Amino acid sequence: MHRNLKIKLFLFFFLLFATILFAILFPRLTLPFGFSYIVYLMSKPLTSLLMTGSKKQRFFFSTLLILGVSLSLLPLFAAFYNIDTDFSEFSRQLPEVQKNLQDKYFVFKVYIFEKFGYRLNIDPVTFMVKKLEKGGTLLLSQIPNYLSSFFEWMLLVPMFLYFLFFQSGKFGYKLVAAIPNSIFEKTYVLFSQFNTKFGEYIIAKFIEATILGTSVTIGLWAIGFPYPFVLGFIAGLTNILPYIGPVLGFIPALLIALLTHDPKTSMLAMCLIYLIANLIDMILVFPLLVSKVVDLNPIIVVVSVIVGGQVGGVVGMIVIIPFIAFFKLLFQEIYKDLSVQL
Amino acid sequence: MSYEKELMDKVQKGEILPDKLDIPILKYLWDASPLGFGAKENIRSFFKKISILNSFSDNEIRLFTKFLHRREFIADEVIFRQGDSGYGFYFIYDGSVNIYANHLNNNIEERGDLIIRLDRRQYFGEMGLLEDFNRRSATAIANENTVLLGIFKPDLEKMLEFYPVLGAKFLRETALIMANRMGQLTREVMSLKKKIKELESRV
Repeated sequence: MHRNLKIKLFLFFFLLFATILFAILFPRLTLPFGFSYIVYLMSKPLTSLLMTGSKKQRFFFSTLLILGVSLSLLPLFAAFYNIDTDFSEFSRQLPEVQKNLQDKYFVFKVYIFEKFGYRLNIDPVTFMVKKLEKGGTLLLSQIPNYLSSFFEWMLLVPMFLYFLFFQSGKFGYKLVAAIPNSIFEKTYVLFSQFNTKFGEYIIAKFIEATILGTSVTIGLWAIGFPYPFVLGFIAGLTNILPYIGPVLGFIPALLIALLTHDPKTSMLAMCLIYLIANLIDMILVFPLLVSKVVDLNPIIVVVSVIVGGQVGGVVGMIVIIPFIAFFKLLFQEIYKDLSVQL
Repeated sequence: MSYEKELMDKVQKGEILPDKLDIPILKYLWDASPLGFGAKENIRSFFKKISILNSFSDNEIRLFTKFLHRREFIADEVIFRQGDSGYGFYFIYDGSVNIYANHLNNNIEERGDLIIRLDRRQYFGEMGLLEDFNRRSATAIANENTVLLGIFKPDLEKMLEFYPVLGAKFLRETALIMANRMGQLTREVMSLKKKIKELESRV
């Protein structure tokens, strides 16, 4: 290979490595950029819908979009209002929950003593409550930091969004132009495929989470279970995490059912609602939306989610799946090339 | 005095400019002028002279060029190798390209016979754009310092999504190229068969 071409190749990989290092070292910039990028990818199908077709079609879709957004905002406001009410009610009931928990633990202690003659000297309820209080105090002391991050995001996210919507085309073209000739075709195609896969995955997960959250909320509200909006919101949010998510989303409802003595509460009905909502998700929503994008073995998905959580927390757990799908694609390409060379 | 210079003078003198001034559109109209005032050939006028894009209007060519990537190759630089995965279709904007059919000699790939030399305004690699798992059937090497304009699979997908009419038109032209090449190939196979028969009859 010509010397200049080697230098070009080295510079390209050096720049790539430096960019990744920069992203890891400066999460305060990377995270808002990542968030903006997700918003940008999520809005892509809409922009494509609004940019193609005849003038009449564009007008029709624009009107539909405005109407849809306006109508969906109303229940959203209602939901947020209810979430706030649910949270306040939950904090108000916390002492009662603590008392219930202590009563139940006392019964358990007595049972253990009568059955095995062993006296339990630990007090996990007080320990948990103290931990909760400590956590709350820590959270309060961290509020100024969260606020400053919030204002930082308020400034950075619109800026990044503006860049992504209006400048990314030209910038991306220049970036692509810097790829050396020897690896251009493959890199460009793989990068485009990753971009498409990532966008599709985020949209699919968002829709899936919304459907699941809504069905749980409606179900819990219908049987009169407490905090339906909070629990629906949690179920939707945790559903973003594959396989582990549904279990995590179910825990708060289970705890509430165990700890409250609400006569309206029906444990069986609540379990059935979660089961039905997750079955709808598994049988209908997931195969139609997500599995088309991510064609991975379930064991690989679970292991990836655990590794992603270890490396990058909740964000890592979410974004690891499209990355793994991309690496699968990359290895398939390399394998195909190697088999041709053999 | 050019229109742009006139405007710059107005800016320098502090004179009022017209309310709506769309320089890119003016530039486009200037370039698209059939009288050909611009002596220097740009990408749009380059494509106007390519036979397969004859049916494209000026505006369609302008849109089409948005999806192209300019790639510069030095003399003897490999554009793609035989057996590589193919994803793109190239137009030769400047320079020339040699196409070789490689062969294996003791498991070592050697540059084989020169099949064809392609010059300015010619194109190659269209199969890479259309086939799903395309493998390049020959090696392409820049004969001199060469500038190529390439369009790749993701660009075609984007074109079909945002400009479906243009995308369909381009696909039709690409299919025509392939049909022509198939016809050529069939004729060559027939002529080879005829030659083999002649040789067999002689033996």
